[in-house]
Amino acid sequence: MSDEPEIKPTCNDSIPSHVSSKSDDDADQKDATNKSRGNLAEDDALDWLKPRTLIKPDDQEEVPEADLEEEVGRILTTINPQWVADEVAYHYGKGKFMVKPKPTYGKAYPLYVHQGTAIRKDSDEAKAQIAAGYGMVSFDDAGPKRVKVKKTKTEEEEEEEPEQEPVATEEAKGDEDQVQEEEKAAAPDEAPEEKPAEAAAEEPKAEEEAVAAEEGQEAEEKEAGQDDQMLQDEYLDIKPRVKKLANQFNFCERAALTYTYPRRSVETQTIPPPRANFGATALQCIIFDYYQEDYARKMKEKEEEKPKRLRKKKTKHVKSEQQIHDERLAQRIREAWAILERLVNQNIYDDIAQDYRYWDDPSDEFREGMGSLLPLWKFQFDPVRSHAVCDVQWNPHYQDLFAVAYGSLDFTLQQKVGCLCLYSIKNPAYPEYAVITESPVICLDVYKEIPYLICVGLYDGNVCVYNAQLSLESSYQYKSNSVRDKHSNIVWEIRWGPRLIDGEPSFFSISGDGRVVQWAVMPGELQATTIITLTSNVPPIPGPDGTMLTVNSCGSCICFHPERTEIFMVGTEDGMIHTCSLKYNRNYVRSIQGHHMPVYRIHYNNYNNSIYASCSGDWRVKIWEDGRDEPLFMFELGSPVGDVKWAPYSSTVFAACTADGKVYVYDLNVDKYRPICVQAVVSKKTKKLSRVDFNSKLPVIVCGDTKGTCHVLKLSPNLRVMCKPPKKAQGIDQRTLQIMKLDKLLSLVRDPPFQTGVVDEKFEDD
Amino acid sequence: MANEAEETVRKLAMHKGVAGVIVVNGEGIPIKTTLENHVSVQYAGLMSSLVDKAKAVVRDLDPTNDLTFLRIRSKKSEVMVAPDKDFILIVVQNPVE
Repeated sequence: MSDEPEIKPTCNDSIPSHVSSKSDDDADQKDATNKSRGNLAEDDALDWLKPRTLIKPDDQEEVPEADLEEEVGRILTTINPQWVADEVAYHYGKGKFMVKPKPTYGKAYPLYVHQGTAIRKDSDEAKAQIAAGYGMVSFDDAGPKRVKVKKTKTEEEEEEEPEQEPVATEEAKGDEDQVQEEEKAAAPDEAPEEKPAEAAAEEPKAEEEAVAAEEGQEAEEKEAGQDDQMLQDEYLDIKPRVKKLANQFNFCERAALTYTYPRRSVETQTIPPPRANFGATALQCIIFDYYQEDYARKMKEKEEEKPKRLRKKKTKHVKSEQQIHDERLAQRIREAWAILERLVNQNIYDDIAQDYRYWDDPSDEFREGMGSLLPLWKFQFDPVRSHAVCDVQWNPHYQDLFAVAYGSLDFTLQQKVGCLCLYSIKNPAYPEYAVITESPVICLDVYKEIPYLICVGLYDGNVCVYNAQLSLESSYQYKSNSVRDKHSNIVWEIRWGPRLIDGEPSFFSISGDGRVVQWAVMPGELQATTIITLTSNVPPIPGPDGTMLTVNSCGSCICFHPERTEIFMVGTEDGMIHTCSLKYNRNYVRSIQGHHMPVYRIHYNNYNNSIYASCSGDWRVKIWEDGRDEPLFMFELGSPVGDVKWAPYSSTVFAACTADGKVYVYDLNVDKYRPICVQAVVSKKTKKLSRVDFNSKLPVIVCGDTKGTCHVLKLSPNLRVMCKPPKKAQGIDQRTLQIMKLDKLLSLVRDPPFQTGVVDEKFEDD
Repeated sequence: MANEAEETVRKLAMHKGVAGVIVVNGEGIPIKTTLENHVSVQYAGLMSSLVDKAKAVVRDLDPTNDLTFLRIRSKKSEVMVAPDKDFILIVVQNPVE
């Protein structure tokens, strides 16, 4: 309140007046404010000049500054230091000290007692209030205040009562006895008047008397004044009051103005993000590519999410990205070159390709039983131009591919190196695969199961296995050990055999040293097993130092039975044809003097397993039947016969090539004595034909000459006449017809009638 | 690899009627040629764009398809192109008389 003028000097005059109007019970305060108000009213104009001073009430006690400053410490403890366990008080009535009754709440010390304002509804007081109209005002703010004012009065009385009552009653008793005795005389007239008064204020009276005993007249007056005031209070309370006060408390409004900051704007500019213009053509294929890329990336991410242990194995073999890319690029370039080369060749050899596919010699129609060979491509490989084609074989899997072994048949002027080439008729200019060997290649065989594995026999007696899938640098995949188990003479023929029990491929080689060796293709090496050593009838010859040397006959060719894989035939340089078995390595199953000169080739008929052809340097080609000592047919060709092959398409057709450069084609069904086609392929002065091979699917043959050229020839229609099924049995397939054709032919030439299967009988005897 | 490429180019150039062999890298620059320089550059530039166009045609018809080779026959010669994303091989061949 007193602070207010300092905070708001402008409201100086209004507030005190307001305060004074509110606080009507504080007379002194009111006076003081009135006074100050008067002063202020006088010096209103000069108010701002005066130094501001605190307005104090006049009767305020002077307290030195030091005392004001002093700090009074207050400690609140849970222990009551004023607690007295057994408090005694002097009892005036009994005239002795008595133990004061302890409050029921034990050691608790009431620090603050607040009296409630509620009064019982059925109490006299409440009734009085209700009668006065207070009860109607429910929750009147003013109500409780009034009641409190009144109650404090009554309470004061009540508080005093219990202490003084016993004393008063004691005294009263004593007094009353006296009074009763005194008044008994005057009782009849006074009693009616006194009684209501006594009943109304019995206690004040008792008090009055007690006090009167001590203080006398002075106290009486004071008491009377107090009574007056009480009456006045009573009067105020009873007065009906309906008006409500808005707020029971005094209040004031406070306002404060905060400091307003001056406005200002701050601007900053960021660096604009970099921009670029991008343009691309959105083609369907580009979008597709991006999707593919995205898919691949997601797959890769998925892969990476897998636990590490699963991936570990893979990472070992993984090459660097660059390596893979390089390899793939190299492969793509290689393929592109290969195809480009074929395109170029197609342009160059277009006419030949047309002939090869479509041209059939029209003259065949007019010459019954005679045919011709149409020369198509010539294959040459420059590095081996001076080499002889020692063996040639069509690939069993790719019909346009054939393998050529380049060696030398001129044994006085032997070549130092050899070459293995794979040619495709799609590219006559260069071999698809070419590898130079350390020694001239004399023979080769392509593995039917794995058509890129080729075994070769070399002039120096070694055998090798080449993998055409590997690049040229790697050369051979397997090679026989030159020291331990190679042949000691030229390997004349080499043939793949059946797989061994353990599943390894194996091949057989026959050499001039008279041995037939089986080679098992083990991982990383070739394992040699000598199957048979060819003995000769020549008695042991005394050596230079007197020891007797047995002379082996020299093997020159080998041929396996098409069905019975353990049976094979061996031709020797002295013209013998031995039938051998893998199971008997001491002696031959059969032995015939087939020729008088080295046997160059023995070939089984493709349709009849007991028929085979042989050719020799004695100019002759002979057709044999198993178990017969004399040949069924014998043809003299007038020159050493390098090769003889049965046609794959017919049971009676075979071709032979001779050293004078001619190819002979026979069809026994057409002519039993003469060839149906004799064609000079190379000039007989400079070249010799060494080998010939039928293509298994196409009507072409390939023959090699001694000057390193391979000739591919097309068989004219007369050379490949197919069997016409008889009218009675139209549904018979060609193979059966071919077999029938051969059987019919054989029955004509057999003399005397002969029982086949001698080989089997011989085994049974053993 | 380099040897092999060299060998192949030489081999191809020796074929009958082959007028020239050009190896073009991924950026359309001839890196190996048997023709004269300015002719090679002309071939490389023109073929690169033609290959792109042809590839777009093939791929747009079927996105899983791709251009593998291109043969252009003309009155005087035939141009054979092996396109790849990293290189283009061009062979110019005159018809055999």
